[in-house]
Amino acid sequence: MKYKLLTIALLFCSSLFAQESADYNQKQSKESLAYHEARTKISVPPYGIVKVRAKIAKITSDTENLKLSAKEYLSLSLKEKFTYCMIHAEDYDQNCDPVLPVIDEEKKIMASLENPFPEFAWSERQTAFLNKNRDSVMALVKASVLRSKRMGLNYKLAINEINGWEMIPFIIQTFKADHKDLDLLTLLMKLMINNNYAPFMQSETHRKLYGNEANDRSYIKFNKANEDLMLSRANDFYLKMKKG
Amino acid sequence: MRQVLIFLLTSMQVSLYAQLNLNYVAVPAGVYTVGEKDHLKNPLRKVNMAAFNIAVTELTNADFEKFVHATGYKTDAERLGNAMVFEPGLKEFRWINDSTAYWRYPNGISRGGILDKMNHPVTTISYRDIQAYCSWAKVRLPTFEEWEIASRAGDAAEQYFWGADKTQIVKYANVWHGKDHLKADQSDGFMYTAPVKSFLPNKWGLYDMYGNVFEFCQGGLPSDPKERVIVHARGGSWWCSKNSCNYFNSVDIGNINPRASFSNQGFRVVQLKH
Repeated sequence: MKYKLLTIALLFCSSLFAQESADYNQKQSKESLAYHEARTKISVPPYGIVKVRAKIAKITSDTENLKLSAKEYLSLSLKEKFTYCMIHAEDYDQNCDPVLPVIDEEKKIMASLENPFPEFAWSERQTAFLNKNRDSVMALVKASVLRSKRMGLNYKLAINEINGWEMIPFIIQTFKADHKDLDLLTLLMKLMINNNYAPFMQSETHRKLYGNEANDRSYIKFNKANEDLMLSRANDFYLKMKKG
Repeated sequence: MRQVLIFLLTSMQVSLYAQLNLNYVAVPAGVYTVGEKDHLKNPLRKVNMAAFNIAVTELTNADFEKFVHATGYKTDAERLGNAMVFEPGLKEFRWINDSTAYWRYPNGISRGGILDKMNHPVTTISYRDIQAYCSWAKVRLPTFEEWEIASRAGDAAEQYFWGADKTQIVKYANVWHGKDHLKADQSDGFMYTAPVKSFLPNKWGLYDMYGNVFEFCQGGLPSDPKERVIVHARGGSWWCSKNSCNYFNSVDIGNINPRASFSNQGFRVVQLKH
């Protein structure tokens, strides 16, 4: 009951600021708003989706619990656990994690990926699952992306989490399909950073996006020169990693 | 007998919040400039603000303890074991759930308690816990705009109350100075919270408006999602660095779940009008 009252109070407060919402949206172009929406979309894996959604619905109907019980979690198959992780993060995320919306977002290669689960984050058991099963996770992500022709933000985060450098050719191929999902370029940079790839770590791009004066809102312009440079570096990095 | 008991409890409650040592700064009514040009969450604008009194410091562990002693209140973190804590070595923006953590052990029992930190800001409490405190103490949270006017000390300056020079933050705020969070940073004397008033105040005499702990505000934003309730906090915290988060300024506004309890989240209160 108390929580309901809090909810009502908060929603009432939100309405007090409604007059500002017009300004908020007017500052962004239609293209930018559409890109932001596409950029923050997740992919929904098909594996056991009905069963997993039903289990999550039980959790989320209880505002005091975010996690499946250990017994229920362990009863899920590998593919179902993958689906669970990809559509539900079971810990809270801190206040300052969300990347703030920016003007002309579709023309910027950002330093950071957004959080696909606003206000929530993967728990230790979820990241442990992804890392322990990284080969399966990469295969499941690839199969899903090939079906849907897009890579959701949750998949990108998973690839970064498991340091899935083996997926670089697939990431590049997915990017080249329409040259629009600039977060795929961000993901390539994250993979090079995860592996401390010197040609990237010493580059001007790295300095601008991840250097001493950069922060998680830093970006560079998306243009042909930056795109070519990034794809070429990522490909060189992949070939080096493959050689061992 | 029951009536006597109720009387005694009520008297105890009155006397306890009479002992709260909260000092306030009186902010005069006026037209103030808030926000920042092209900031999509907090656009530049003028606001007509009524006078209000805001606490000089963040609410301390000592103050919160009085509330707990008076009411027997159990925080969300205590009841649910859902607090999020930090230890050096975690990747950027990564926190861990510690079921032993609550306001008396902000980062979990193994990382120490607050017995020698009663003058630090209270943390590891949720927005819901803060509402309970405010109801008991007969105070409230500042609105976004009240918080911002107070943090700017009335100036429509840059991101900071002293101007645009980011390097000045070392004088005014307990923040994280490391490039990442893989190694502990105590270069300003504190890894987690600092006692309130450890750094210089702004020109209105308000301490720790930036850093130390994120301060919850009341109200919602146009950018808030329609399908779920979120709350907001401002000013950055001991965890925030210039490379990650970078919220220790007068402009940015964060998002968080109202049930979340983090060891870098606290609050500052505003007096109710009588």
